[in-house]
Amino acid sequence: MTDTTVLGPVVVRLPPDPTLSRVLRLTASGVAGMAGYSVDEIDDIKIAVSEVLLALIEHGAGRPIEVEFAAEQDAFVVRAHTPIDSFDTDHPDLALCRTVLAGVCSSHGIELIDDEAHIWAAVAHLTP
Amino acid sequence: MTELGNHDSLTVEHSPEGAIVVHGDIDVAGGPILEAAIVDSEAAGPIVLDLADVVFIDSSGLRSLLGASRRAGDRGQVVTLRRVGPEVRRLLEITGTTEHFVIESRRD
Repeated sequence: MTDTTVLGPVVVRLPPDPTLSRVLRLTASGVAGMAGYSVDEIDDIKIAVSEVLLALIEHGAGRPIEVEFAAEQDAFVVRAHTPIDSFDTDHPDLALCRTVLAGVCSSHGIELIDDEAHIWAAVAHLTP
Repeated sequence: MTELGNHDSLTVEHSPEGAIVVHGDIDVAGGPILEAAIVDSEAAGPIVLDLADVVFIDSSGLRSLLGASRRAGDRGQVVTLRRVGPEVRRLLEITGTTEHFVIESRRD
């Protein structure tokens, strides 16, 4: 048994309302904290969650967004998706989002899969 | 102080000396409120943002700051950031945008 408890997945389904970004960050922080993630790691997780949500709010079709958190042994993984008609994964407005995700995540991805926009991000857990 | 706008996670007001004082999170919800406050203040002179009470910022908030910096540059001015905390400094460093602003002071 290690000090790190694996939690999740925790799934949240929410409308594309910007005011819920803070609520989602608080939820992710709680899950990560319970799983033994450090304060610095949780700060990065909050940024990753915010980037994932804003990308789907700003580039989505105004339909519900489903977000999944999983606190794994070596990373906190955020996966989110929303139905969409078209999604330009190379849109210039996503460039800054990608830069931030690259800065706080060990890996991330933005994809269009079967009429859904999918974004995932993994924040490394370095202090198990 | 004069309140310019508010939101559950962000409030913006003017200090007596004209700085825009920001409280809360500059995210996808708060960023547009901050941007509107900045635009409303641009005619009065160079923008000074007091970020002592900003505990979170993401790329949508950074876009608001970069837009202010770009417009200030067009006017031959700069945007000054005052009492910048580690959260904002980290995002500026990650994105390589620190040089777009004058960092007047820091908050640890």
